[in-house]
Amino acid sequence: MPPTDRTPVSTGKGRRDMIRFIAIRLLRSLLTIALVVTFAFVVLRLSGDPAMLIMSVDAPPEAIAAFRRSWGLDEPLWTQYLKYFGAILHGDLGRSMRDGRDAIVLVAERIPATLALTIPALLIKLGIGIPAGVHAALHRDSWSDRLVMLAAVAGFTVPSFVLGLLLVLIFAVQLGWLPSGGQESWRHAILPVITLGVGGAAVLARFTRSATLEVLGQLYIRTASAKGLSWGRVVRSHALPNAAIPTVTIVGFMVGSLIAGAVVVESVFSWPGVGRLLVVAVANRDLAVVQCILLLVAATMVTANLIVDLLYGFLDPRLRSARSAGAG
Amino acid sequence: MTILTRRGILAAGAALGLARPSIVRADDRPAVTVAVQKISNTNTLEPLREQSNVGERVFHTSLWEGLIGRNYQGALESVPVLATAWRRIDERTVEFTLRQGVKFHDGETMTAEDVAFSFGAERMFGPEGAKPEAQGRTLFTAETNPGRAGKDLPPEVPAVARRMLPSLEKVEIVDKYTVRFVNRTPDVVLEGRLSRLGTEVISRRAFEAAGSWLEWSRRPVTTGPYKVKEFRADSMLILEPHEAYWGGRPPLRELRFVEVSEVSSRINGLLSGQYTFATDLPPDQIAGIEKNPAFEVRGSTILNHRLTVFDKNHPQLANPLVRRAFTHAIDRTAIVEALWGGRTVVPKGLQWDFYGPMQHADWTVPKFDPTEARRLLKEAGYKGDPIPYRLLNNYYTNQVSTAQVLVKMWKAVGLNVQIEMKENWQQIFDRNSPRAVRDWSNSAAFNDPVSSLVNQHGPNGQQQQVGEWTNEEMNRLSVELENSTDLARRRVVFRRLLEICEREDPAYTVLHQNATFTAKRRDTRWKDAPAFAMDFRAHNWGG
Repeated sequence: MPPTDRTPVSTGKGRRDMIRFIAIRLLRSLLTIALVVTFAFVVLRLSGDPAMLIMSVDAPPEAIAAFRRSWGLDEPLWTQYLKYFGAILHGDLGRSMRDGRDAIVLVAERIPATLALTIPALLIKLGIGIPAGVHAALHRDSWSDRLVMLAAVAGFTVPSFVLGLLLVLIFAVQLGWLPSGGQESWRHAILPVITLGVGGAAVLARFTRSATLEVLGQLYIRTASAKGLSWGRVVRSHALPNAAIPTVTIVGFMVGSLIAGAVVVESVFSWPGVGRLLVVAVANRDLAVVQCILLLVAATMVTANLIVDLLYGFLDPRLRSARSAGAG
Repeated sequence: MTILTRRGILAAGAALGLARPSIVRADDRPAVTVAVQKISNTNTLEPLREQSNVGERVFHTSLWEGLIGRNYQGALESVPVLATAWRRIDERTVEFTLRQGVKFHDGETMTAEDVAFSFGAERMFGPEGAKPEAQGRTLFTAETNPGRAGKDLPPEVPAVARRMLPSLEKVEIVDKYTVRFVNRTPDVVLEGRLSRLGTEVISRRAFEAAGSWLEWSRRPVTTGPYKVKEFRADSMLILEPHEAYWGGRPPLRELRFVEVSEVSSRINGLLSGQYTFATDLPPDQIAGIEKNPAFEVRGSTILNHRLTVFDKNHPQLANPLVRRAFTHAIDRTAIVEALWGGRTVVPKGLQWDFYGPMQHADWTVPKFDPTEARRLLKEAGYKGDPIPYRLLNNYYTNQVSTAQVLVKMWKAVGLNVQIEMKENWQQIFDRNSPRAVRDWSNSAAFNDPVSSLVNQHGPNGQQQQVGEWTNEEMNRLSVELENSTDLARRRVVFRRLLEICEREDPAYTVLHQNATFTAKRRDTRWKDAPAFAMDFRAHNWGG
């Protein structure tokens, strides 16, 4: 481990700095979420008429006019925006224009289905990607390194909808082992989880390999070896913790996309999760639902990033002390 | 060691006796899964809100029934359903004799009370009812969003109802099984209007018992052969048999519609045996599916025509000669053969066979005649100025490829048509830049030209409402067609309307009839209908 300033965070000043750091991050996060909501509102309102999309172009003009009026779509954009933002501040995320239910209820209903795919997929990504990346780095230029990287490049470059359809053709159509879509049993989740997991594992393997290789080239690794530590100990105690920082960043993004990171896969496998809801809601300009999902995604991503930032400090005391110095 | 006692033997016998009926009742009927692109656009199962083709597929004939239906195994002619007979009392009144012994899904018997309630203020027209002063108004005093306000109707429901039955004054109960529909004005097509989507009958008691309109609309209690077991919006609709169905025992143990948005996923699900039917297939997928001899694609024309629509406010289209040139430059047969594999037809203008006596069998779309098109353009003095064609990305089947073919055909006669891709209908109708040509499709909600030509191109129709086209004579004759009861005169008026809209002052030109394609295993004994509706009643299964 490189030498660091070991200023303890448990002191009063350290704690105050940490609180200030978190508060600034939270404020920045809230600003980000507000910008996301505003951007989505303007784009969605300007790019399509929900009345015509939901009622269909062939609906009687009176019905379309009545729909617009009842949802306030005939009001000026800024009035709609102020009302919407005011409602958000009061905790009201609006209702679906398609069936009148609270947007948050609709979205919340779909979250378990999405997590049923994304959490196992995340475990696959972590369970395969990180060990494969470390293994490839530790066996650089060996046949196993080349094999891992070949698989990683393949997994990284094949789009998920292509991989999904390929898996369906093999395991559902040809072999008849697994269902091709739907959400009726755990067997229905196997193909979408694999489809989601493979791409992420490939990304993680590549990042982990390059991060580990970079650390292995550092002087402190050579020093640790020269001190007589076993290679295994050098890797466990000095290489992996330092290589973890870039990997944690990627994992943070993956955790942040747990809610809405399966849009394509959910469509290919007709999986009724948040991703499918987002596609349908965007297609119908079901504004409250789209904005609710975006709000949730933004909040998840921002939270994940915040946790990653905090983890940086935990993993690398240099960053922690730099923050303290900066804050002081 | 087990000791058999007399009491034990009696108890075992009693248990067996109790168990036996469940063995007898074992349901050996098949369960069917239909993969569709969309179950419901509005996330409701109420036809007064879900006025779509996809809705028709789920509603008719599995869930909803009206007084008059269509023969889905024939040519869509009117057939008695919940009414056994009907007769004209006068020009404004039709009397219906109701079918007796019809049970709703909740076990209640259907009576005239239910029919009158189905067409009443609470379910259909809203607080203002079907009063004359409510006609033509687009906004209503009791406007509320659906869902929160108990039984208040979403405002678009009364709007749809008033468009469906614009002059309905009241529904009179004559006796328990007789009702009279009374119009304010003479209406020769009242029977036709009462066969269209949205005029189905509901259980008054069940509607009143539902907690909210939204709750009702997601689990309606009707008379159809199947009832709602579970509805997961955007995902799945599971229907179970209504064993007391008046038309005989439903042939399926379960009828499941699953929403599969991707075409390839629907096909894969069918080929893997997960789905019994895969619907909404584009024509270019048919050959691939039928390579497997176990499967076939059934499909037929539906009550919907694809049109090219003109905006005659555009400087180049103000002269009807230019629009006529458009209509003569199109080789419609080539489009049908090339893009539809010959699986649809070029119809006789904006009319359908089921119009019966109102159909003009000798009418045709404008003849493909490039020479005539060039002559018309020369006469009009058209100099090749650009004409915009606003296009959506395959909102309709084959839309973009059809547009590309059309532009080439128009170019061949000298028309300089330029495609402008648009994302949605709002952009198609946008008036901030010049509009000229767009796509559309027209359906016939019932068996009379009022349902299509008047409804969609007449004074209250979309094309005139969005300001693309108008014609004084068309508007005058539209009113006459709606109110006249003289068949011979109505035929004359209809023909004149066709002449105006398709020849003299083209509002649109018909390209081809639309078709829908459904794949299934060849050994699935089921016949498709010439409509989006899928018939899963006993007479159409396994025979």
